[in-house]
Amino acid sequence: MSQELLKVTDLRAGIEGKEILRGINLTIRPGEVHAIMGPNGSGKSTLSGVLAGDPRFTVTGGSATFHGVDLLSLSPEDRSHEGLFLSFQYPVEIPGVTMVNFMRAAINAKRKYFNQEPLSAGDFLKMMRQKRAVVELDNKLASRSVNEGFSGGEKKRNEIFQMAVLEPKLSILDETDSGLDIDALRIVAGGVNKLKTESNATIVITHYQRLLDYIKPDFVHILYKGRIVYSGGPELALELEEKGYDWIKQQVDNQ
Amino acid sequence: MMTPAKAFDQYIDLCGQFGAPGASPLLQEINGLGRSMLAEAAKAYRPDPAEIDTLRPDAMFATDYGINLMRVGMPVDPAATFRCGVPNLGSLLAIVANDSFHPTEALLRNMPEGLTVCSLNKVPAGLQHVASQVMRETLEGGGVAEALNAAFLADGVFIHAAAGVKVDKVIQIVNISAPTVPMLSLRRVVIVAEEGASLRVLLCDHSQTAATPHLNSQLVSVRVAENAAVELYDIEEDTPATNRHWTLDARQQSHSSLTVNSTCLHGGLSANRYNINVEGDYAETSLSGLAICGGEQTAANTVTLTHSGKHCTSRQLFKNALFDNSRGGFGGKIIVRPGAMFTDAEQTNRNLLADDNARMTAAPQLEIYCDEVKCSHGATTGQLDERALFYMQTRGIPAAEARTMLTQAFMVDVIDNISFEVLRQRIHVLVEKRLTGAAASCDTCATACHTS
Repeated sequence: MSQELLKVTDLRAGIEGKEILRGINLTIRPGEVHAIMGPNGSGKSTLSGVLAGDPRFTVTGGSATFHGVDLLSLSPEDRSHEGLFLSFQYPVEIPGVTMVNFMRAAINAKRKYFNQEPLSAGDFLKMMRQKRAVVELDNKLASRSVNEGFSGGEKKRNEIFQMAVLEPKLSILDETDSGLDIDALRIVAGGVNKLKTESNATIVITHYQRLLDYIKPDFVHILYKGRIVYSGGPELALELEEKGYDWIKQQVDNQ
Repeated sequence: MMTPAKAFDQYIDLCGQFGAPGASPLLQEINGLGRSMLAEAAKAYRPDPAEIDTLRPDAMFATDYGINLMRVGMPVDPAATFRCGVPNLGSLLAIVANDSFHPTEALLRNMPEGLTVCSLNKVPAGLQHVASQVMRETLEGGGVAEALNAAFLADGVFIHAAAGVKVDKVIQIVNISAPTVPMLSLRRVVIVAEEGASLRVLLCDHSQTAATPHLNSQLVSVRVAENAAVELYDIEEDTPATNRHWTLDARQQSHSSLTVNSTCLHGGLSANRYNINVEGDYAETSLSGLAICGGEQTAANTVTLTHSGKHCTSRQLFKNALFDNSRGGFGGKIIVRPGAMFTDAEQTNRNLLADDNARMTAAPQLEIYCDEVKCSHGATTGQLDERALFYMQTRGIPAAEARTMLTQAFMVDVIDNISFEVLRQRIHVLVEKRLTGAAASCDTCATACHTS
């Protein structure tokens, strides 16, 4: 497919006056899986935050077009409605808000955005049941406060559960593998693969090749000092695993 | 500037001009006692510098309100107009219209054996000494506000459970403010649970006017005898024209339990004072409250909890959510007297400032005169968690809705102190409606006191 789902052009952004993204160019088409790798501090989480509308970051230049819509002009909630999903590296605990109320509010807000009636109680519960199965999420978590007291694995499974419910066009998985043991990793990655279709796309942000054994990328990009300095196929991830980032750093720094 | 004591001169003058308003010998005795103490109490009055100035007694009582000394009747029959419309709560309902007690038919018909709920003017002969003693004790331990209340008190509510009587229905007193002229209503509630008795009382303050300024001085005395249990719930659903000066004088004996929970949804100035004396051993006290303030509203809770007995546990949890230009206050003092060994006392105050102009004043204090105790206190004031807000937005929940959900979540643990389930659920709904700005938040109240 040649149609563009996300087109990021010369995107620049920073935090508290410090520029972190220094001109990102990235094009993602439906059905594709892109992995973004890079050393610590290269701007990986900033990129995901900026795309999702995190108010901590200020965009200083460039554009991001999401299926024809000017993404950067939308509120975080409207980006969600338009089909963008961010799986957090550190999912936020929200004491006092139960998972059930949280998900109901999320679903009905989206339905309202598309002028649909709120989901009936029965349909809502049925949907929750189906989507929980994607990542084998325990039913008992539904009555608990959002992420409060969840284990590391439960938090990440909960992210993918929410992704399953919201059915995004583009999912950004920000270090979804961090804090996961090998079994949890398999379940989470399995969930992501089950949700993959020809019309949606995924950006996987990770430090390690390990996750990419489970979620197969079509493209691998290396982010360094706020720019994508190298792009390649899945073999690039293997090369990185073997050689580390130093050769890339040297190449870029010597230019 | 006027000295604080001067604020009370108008009331002292009034004592010389009008006779005692109490309709019964019992209340006349209390009127006399209050009057004999008023001048001295006014002179001895010292404003608490930690208290918000507009909520101090000398500020609240300084305005020249009318007191219904001539006992002019209200033009409506409140018992017929306001009825409890929800059978599920099964409440034993009485109305206090401005300052006059009106029992409902249902209350009179369904009064369980061993329970007395009546006007302080109609206390049965066998219980007169109980009512009198409690009111005297409160006066002796109180200050100018207590003396003032006693001096002009014309009516009030007396609730008494005889030894061993466990009342499962909630006794609901709906205080209705509907003054046509600026008015001071003096309200008095005396609650006594004798040995082994248990009681649940719900006080609802409801004002029907936002146009006529009014001051409600409500004095509540609670006596919890050995092995007795009292739950006291208080909901304020007033208007910006309401000034509320509310004082609790509670005393607990050994193995007793007292739960006090307050919800302030709307009002003008609300000063809630809790004076609790835990005199017996192995007693439990739970004290909690929430206030949601907007506009120019001011609400404060001031607690003095004194532990004298051994092996007692007390828990305090007060939260405020402050919007617009509102002000909140918390003054909490735990006193552990010499000999109150193995006291376990905790006090928590948390506040949310939702707007730049909202202000909070908190003064938590501990005074410990005994070793072998466990006491803690903590007070925090802050804003909504921005990370939680962003997280919710990324899931599509609009910012305004997310804020409401987070504010509600902030209040959840206070509401969860309400063990009476039907009421707890109703308060959850009332708080949600209050936060979403839904009109007339009493609409869904289980008590439906406003429906006819």
